[in-house]
Amino acid sequence: MIKNNRGDLQFSFAWIFAIIAGMFILFLAIYGVSKFISIERSSQEAQTAKDIGILINPLESSFETGKRIMIKTPVETRIYTGCNNVSTFFGRQTIRTSQKTYNEWSTEGINVGFSNKYIFSEYPVEGENFYLFSKQFEFPFKIADLIYLTSTKDKYCFKNAPKDIEEEIEDLIGKNLSENENFFTKDCPSESINVCFGSGNDCDIKVNTILKYVEKNGERTYYEGDALMYAAIFSNKENYECQISRLMKRTEQLSAIYTDKSKFIYQKTGCNSELEVELTQLENTAKDFRNSEELNLINALAENIKIKSEYGGCKLW
Amino acid sequence: MVIKKGFLKRKKAQMKNKEIFQLLHKKNGQMKIQQMSFMLLGVFLFFALVGMIILTIKFSDLKQSATDLEEQNAMLLVTKLANSPEFSCGEAYGNQKTDCIDEDKVMMLKENINKYVNFWGVSNIEIKRIYPENKNIECTLSNYPNCDTIKLINKSSSGYDKFNFVALCRKENYKDSVVNKCEIAKLIIRYEEIK
Repeated sequence: MIKNNRGDLQFSFAWIFAIIAGMFILFLAIYGVSKFISIERSSQEAQTAKDIGILINPLESSFETGKRIMIKTPVETRIYTGCNNVSTFFGRQTIRTSQKTYNEWSTEGINVGFSNKYIFSEYPVEGENFYLFSKQFEFPFKIADLIYLTSTKDKYCFKNAPKDIEEEIEDLIGKNLSENENFFTKDCPSESINVCFGSGNDCDIKVNTILKYVEKNGERTYYEGDALMYAAIFSNKENYECQISRLMKRTEQLSAIYTDKSKFIYQKTGCNSELEVELTQLENTAKDFRNSEELNLINALAENIKIKSEYGGCKLW
Repeated sequence: MVIKKGFLKRKKAQMKNKEIFQLLHKKNGQMKIQQMSFMLLGVFLFFALVGMIILTIKFSDLKQSATDLEEQNAMLLVTKLANSPEFSCGEAYGNQKTDCIDEDKVMMLKENINKYVNFWGVSNIEIKRIYPENKNIECTLSNYPNCDTIKLINKSSSGYDKFNFVALCRKENYKDSVVNKCEIAKLIIRYEEIK
């Protein structure tokens, strides 16, 4: 850089070249670093999602039924639990996370999929600490373990719950009320999500235990059994219906396996379960399943099989 | 005339010197630009190389952590798989049993395995009877129950195994009555390394 006689600045070619090349290198470096950070963030979030999927494995063995586990994340996290019932025969449970950094939510999260998991939660569920508990879903034989995911930020107040539900929730809460507690049967915090059984005032979620439906955000979902009732309470209608259709696919396949087993044992040992017709019927009904309104139909069949299995001949499950 | 000639000669020589000087100056400038270009190229290549090394290390770390997650998944899965509805004995052999596999049911699962190939997210699932003595005979419907190994999913021959000991129960005829027979087996799960 030189000054001419009049005092104007004159740029030599070398300076112009250095400035342009420098700007180009700086731009490339900034672009590369920002891309790198974004990839790193995505991988971190995918890892968190996979971790959640793996961590819930022990919950599925049914050893831990009636017990909650807590997941703590280092930063404020949103967990998006999705459901896909068309990609494969059994459908897929997807988990995606988004984390808050510099007061902004990331959007790069990658969906991690599991075929053997059924998670029921809000979409998304947000917080730093999350509670997970599971319940076995039987129809009439064990179909799967359903997992319920809630944030400690969302306080649920169960009003007028039937005795068995109230006892179950109190078992989950435990003896000492922790500061992270999010289930209440009495002395509910003012900002609670009110879950009313039967009638009640100021209800966010209504559970009709006679007609067996849950009303949430003005939408009705039908259930059979406590496991599905919790599922309807903690998830939205879209997720619930999709997961139910995945569960019915598994019911269909398990019915087919039990029908084959019944024939096989009869041929091998002469031990007759006398359930082949009913199991085939259950398989076909589960195959034609469309939405939760049809659950009572399948439940009637399942109840019939349950009674026959308890008092019948050869036990299949 | 002689003075004029001498003046012209000097002028010529001056002009020549000036040209040489200008040429030298021009060449010097070009050299500087060349030096700077090489320097910038060098800096650029250096950072690109460092970036590539960092990326390679990071991606190999990522692959390692993906493999670790697969291992963790296999480890937890093997402890709970025996209790999943497709395998578990339930109450078919008396009271509810944990870590008990219903061999008759698993044989029927083997016949319907196509839909379950990607269900548990592992590459191999195998049940090996370890007591009484294993003769390494693979189970089919024709040789069952005189066999030792039930290969349910067999997608890969490479990978790492995780196993768990389980009870393997089936119904059998003994002296004109149906009895429950349980033996000891190993449930083996294989997961693949992420490449």
